[in-house]
Amino acid sequence: MLLFATKRVARAILTVLIVVGCAFAALRLSSDPALVVLGPDAPPSAVAAFRAAWGLDQPLWQQFFYYIAGLLRGEFGRSLLNGADVLPLVGSRVLVTLEIMIPALAIGILVGVSAGAYAALRHNTPKDRLVMMGAVAGFTVPHFVLGLVLVLIFAVHLGWLPSGGNDSWRSAILPVVTLSTGWAAVLARFTRSSVVEVLGQPYIRTASAKGLLWRAVIIRHALPNAAIPVVTTIGFMVGGLLAGAVVTESVFSWPGLGQLIVTSVAARDVAVVQCVLLLVATAMVLSNMTVDFLYTLLDPRLRGGRH
Amino acid sequence: MVGVERRTFLMLASGAASMPRFAIAQSDTRPEIVVAVQKLVTSNTLDPVAEQSNVGERILNSYVELLIGRNLQGELEDMPQLATSWKRISDEIVEVSLRKGVKFHNGDEMTAEDIVFTFSAARMFGNTTPSGWDKTITMDTSRPTQKSKELPTQVPAVARRLWPSLVKVEVVDKYTCRFVNATPDVTIEGRLTGMGSQIVNRRAFEEAASWLDYARKPIGTGPYKIRSFTPDVELIFDAHDDYWGGRPPIKTLRFVQVPEVAQRVNGIRAGQYHFACDLTPDQIVTVESDPKLEVVGGIIPNIRLSVFDKYDTALKDPRIRQALTHAIDRKMIVDKLWLGRSKVPPGLQFAFYGDMLVSGWTAPEFDPAKAKALVKEAGYKGDPIPYRLLNDYYTLQTANAQVLTEMWQQIGLNVQIEMKENWAQIWDPKGKRAIHDWSNSAQFNDPVSSLPTQHGPQGQQQQVHEWANDEMNKLCGILQTSTDKAMRKKAFERMLVVCEREDPAYTVLNQNATFTAKRKSTQWKVAPDFAMDFRASNWRG
Repeated sequence: MLLFATKRVARAILTVLIVVGCAFAALRLSSDPALVVLGPDAPPSAVAAFRAAWGLDQPLWQQFFYYIAGLLRGEFGRSLLNGADVLPLVGSRVLVTLEIMIPALAIGILVGVSAGAYAALRHNTPKDRLVMMGAVAGFTVPHFVLGLVLVLIFAVHLGWLPSGGNDSWRSAILPVVTLSTGWAAVLARFTRSSVVEVLGQPYIRTASAKGLLWRAVIIRHALPNAAIPVVTTIGFMVGGLLAGAVVTESVFSWPGLGQLIVTSVAARDVAVVQCVLLLVATAMVLSNMTVDFLYTLLDPRLRGGRH
Repeated sequence: MVGVERRTFLMLASGAASMPRFAIAQSDTRPEIVVAVQKLVTSNTLDPVAEQSNVGERILNSYVELLIGRNLQGELEDMPQLATSWKRISDEIVEVSLRKGVKFHNGDEMTAEDIVFTFSAARMFGNTTPSGWDKTITMDTSRPTQKSKELPTQVPAVARRLWPSLVKVEVVDKYTCRFVNATPDVTIEGRLTGMGSQIVNRRAFEEAASWLDYARKPIGTGPYKIRSFTPDVELIFDAHDDYWGGRPPIKTLRFVQVPEVAQRVNGIRAGQYHFACDLTPDQIVTVESDPKLEVVGGIIPNIRLSVFDKYDTALKDPRIRQALTHAIDRKMIVDKLWLGRSKVPPGLQFAFYGDMLVSGWTAPEFDPAKAKALVKEAGYKGDPIPYRLLNDYYTLQTANAQVLTEMWQQIGLNVQIEMKENWAQIWDPKGKRAIHDWSNSAQFNDPVSSLPTQHGPQGQQQQVHEWANDEMNKLCGILQTSTDKAMRKKAFERMLVVCEREDPAYTVLNQNATFTAKRKSTQWKVAPDFAMDFRASNWRG
């Protein structure tokens, strides 16, 4: 078990380093942050001075080395636009993003898993097809389309809810519905196919044959065995909590991390982008590690790294 | 009994404590107004020098003011603002008399000391030195930090672009000061009307823990004072009731950033916003389908350009560039893309130049036959002509580029669009450069604030080796330093001929325009500018 944990932690650190390194190089090689920040009218002397002030005139490997050294000291950098510490800025946006992402994920899991299990237990019936039609629709409609339709109905025509912003809890309703619809749809499809597959296994017939109530067969044998693919999917969703709402935040003008990423990439505020990516990559890696450990709880055969 | 007395006392005390506040709240019936904008600022600060952008110009006049303002409810003509009068002492010196009794947001009275400080090295120029037209500006390369009061690198650079030769501002008396220039300059008064010359409070700057702390909440004299600012999210102002120009009509003015134009339109239709800015022409019909809403605005002092690189590709031959200018049907672009809400400018010049306006000058005529003849004469062989393009940095930019490309292909030029992500990629000397989009604003009412700043020897186009012309550079020197009005005008006329006809550096397309949706019930007049004016004189909500 210790070897299993050590390997996964090492792999996680390597993954985060690769992500951060790629982002670091891409942001600097794709264009000059000095010219983006100072604008097209900036005199060359000012551009040169800006590059020198921020170390952008040094070789890339040297810049990366200083960046990693700073990270190890707990320094995440300063905004190229105004010199502000990026960590408090990014941290405040994380909280705003989680205000919609956590309720959306909870609703998505609740609705998606329930709907998927319901459909599986009514396999090949009109109810099953109806649920799956809804799931396919929820999965295929892009968030920005669904978001705008919801705004037109509930904000513009009915006037029940705000069209965007983050003024009150009512502002969160439409973004949460938009996000949770997509997640519920994905989970419903995964849960259904997983449960259907498990229901065809010999041990389900055995459990039924030995006289267990159907409800007990489902709860004690079918659902735990069907959980692994569902947990994997939920793991991805949890990992994507921080960066998964870029489009939805733009549509609803929700001032979270997604909006910060978009504006910072456009402005080549590299310290902000790197800090966000570091957090996002870490969240994704931690989430995957958690899923790995959950696998071992759900399936003892996986302990010790055996697959 | 004791309990009852205590309860009674607490009730009376809390009632007494709440009554005055209740009374004040009742007396202030002014509205709270929400303005949805595409972007609040580009620098993430509110310092007028650091925030040199069109979006910044929209909000600046709400909290900081100029010595000599521009009439936002008229035609942008000069008008006294924080200065009541000004006079020339010599070709290098202008004396300004200040308005008395003007209060900053922190309660301080504005005096000549604040003017001196605003234009000081500590706040504006860093360790740069005033220079003549062709001198190199020295730069402070210190790295800005949150705790230091060092100016960010870009601030002195911008300040010297705005005031290349200003030596100092001197106090004459409490309400009089003098602007002293290193060289003769007829545009000192004009520079005082420009963005970046707004007056800030000395004490507030000095008391701020860092430059960033100051720049997130500058203390000015405008009708509204900053309550809070969250970059990329919102900017909230409260009324500055001691405003010298009369009690502001709005209690709380809130600008919110809503990047998506469809969401700004939805928000105003849903009643969430009172104003929705930066609409595209295609959204106008949607907004005006609501009988309670209208779209106001239109032409602003900013001109859209196609800019040429004369050193790469077939554009080395000026006849090819001339052909490009004659192949454009500008009126069709204005009528179809802009739905007639823009116009073709008379070259790169603005009506508010007054005497310096070259009357009778026009954009190159649309003449495809002439354009084809020029292409043939130049012996063009069909080599690709790259057109580096940003995705709608400007309103309708991509659609406009597609139209232009078709027009150029009609005269036999093989123009190919290359999508780019940012300005650094547009200017990148690597690879072939030929055409890109740009725009030009006049910061004040003289051509020296416009054409030379982009195409002159210190302008970006020459600095990145896209274009240069010796005659143009000599003319820029005359326009910058001569005090002979006739000679200056002649130089400007000749500049237009060189840059727009003989050796085209660019060609004008159309006058830029902004469109703002508002409620019809709000009696508010849009300015012919990016700025929004929420003073009492412009509000009958």
